[in-house]
Amino acid sequence: MKRISVGKDFSPDPAGRYRTDGEGSGEAFREDCLRPILDTGEKIEIVIDDGVEGYGSSFLVEGFAGLVKYGYITNEELLSRIEILYTDDDFEFYKIKIIEYIKQAKYSSQKYIGSSE
Amino acid sequence: MKKITRRQRHRDIRHGILIRRGHHLRKHCGGVSSRQEERPISSINSWIDNYKKKHLNATIAKRKRITLHLPEEMNFCDNYEVTVLHILAIRKLSNSRKSGNKSYRLVSVNFDNLRTISTSAALVLTAELSKWDDAIRQQLKPMIDNWDAEILKQFIDLGFFELFRNSSLVYDKSEGSSPINLVKYIKGQCGDNSKPRVLKEKIIEIIGEKVCKWNFLHGGLTEAITNVSHHAYPNSHEFSKEDKNWYLTGSYNDATKELKIVFYDQGIGIPKSLPASDIWEKVLSVLSGISSVERKRDEVLLKAAVELERTSTKQSDRGKGLQDLLEFIRQRKDGYLSILSLKGLFKYSISNGKEEIKTEHFDQPVCGTLIIWSATLHE
Repeated sequence: MKRISVGKDFSPDPAGRYRTDGEGSGEAFREDCLRPILDTGEKIEIVIDDGVEGYGSSFLVEGFAGLVKYGYITNEELLSRIEILYTDDDFEFYKIKIIEYIKQAKYSSQKYIGSSE
Repeated sequence: MKKITRRQRHRDIRHGILIRRGHHLRKHCGGVSSRQEERPISSINSWIDNYKKKHLNATIAKRKRITLHLPEEMNFCDNYEVTVLHILAIRKLSNSRKSGNKSYRLVSVNFDNLRTISTSAALVLTAELSKWDDAIRQQLKPMIDNWDAEILKQFIDLGFFELFRNSSLVYDKSEGSSPINLVKYIKGQCGDNSKPRVLKEKIIEIIGEKVCKWNFLHGGLTEAITNVSHHAYPNSHEFSKEDKNWYLTGSYNDATKELKIVFYDQGIGIPKSLPASDIWEKVLSVLSGISSVERKRDEVLLKAAVELERTSTKQSDRGKGLQDLLEFIRQRKDGYLSILSLKGLFKYSISNGKEEIKTEHFDQPVCGTLIIWSATLHE
């Protein structure tokens, strides 16, 4: 089991959908943090409230549901391999949103082309 | 290679001069539709003449030099039309600044009559004057001798005077006794995702404690910034990099305990960034000959954009951002969110647990999109 703290290991200001939206985008989180670990077959604990002020849906959709949309992993498998952790109760809202977006994503519905390409 | 004719050479020189003067940018610099901005000089002059007979307070001196006199009260709630009219006049006149001697020329914006201004109006006015100052290579100079003391304090707090390079005045921050504490405005560009954190620090400095449910406001702000990157300044409109700004501020009223956060961009507006091909829009287009439908177009599209999670991309996993804007007010169960974009208003409010949605249309547009969160801090 690997553990990622979004605020410490990725960015204290995660925001935006694509790399072109600035540093800390959902695309960068998905491609640089989540995907390499998922490719190893390991489970991931993701701490979402460690130094992070909050999230917009663009980041959450692209970062998490994008894994399904681009065909890296199915909805069910992704949900079984990630665990969302937080200590601030307000962040339960984002956990619920992440699960909702993953469930709504259509598997392999789009080919991934990096926004910076 | 071909030797060009004398006529062609003159044409090329004229074209080069126009480009250097920035005419290629003027056609599309933000907010108001390009169709409006490409109006000939006579249209801009007649627009001024027309509204001068109504609520626009402007004096015209020799050589068509215009001074705009701001009204006593500026806000987007009770005095929308007059407030917007004066801000729109600044935009139109600064856009037409190089149209030659036949066009009116804006030389001054006079604040002397101004007695009250809302946080949102102050931010939009500041953004508009900043745009004008940038356009004339930062030659504006503030003249504050006859300003109301409270207004002066508000604009000092807002950081208004730091806009102007051409200013040698010394301001006494202790002047005025307004209960409204303003955060110095934050100017950002696409991708400046860390700046909402600065706002939080400034608000805590003013209030002295954290604001409950701030993380939802933070999420809304980052989504507003993402929306600016994706939709407000599309490549099709040829905005220059310097034009692609957003502005952010906040205020806290010691007397009423009201916290206001205001975000503003000078882009094309939410209604214009939506797809025109959806069924509803087709119906609107068919009915556009009916004046009442056309008049309400921005209002209806704005409401649909927020409520239906629609987006200009038409992808099913996009367009959720406007819902994020509501979350801070929803979570606090008190306050309101207003989105003004072009001629439309969408307002969501909660009071005593009762939700209410109000929409409205106006005759004059806000140049871009203005988002206002308001909450009363009881805790």
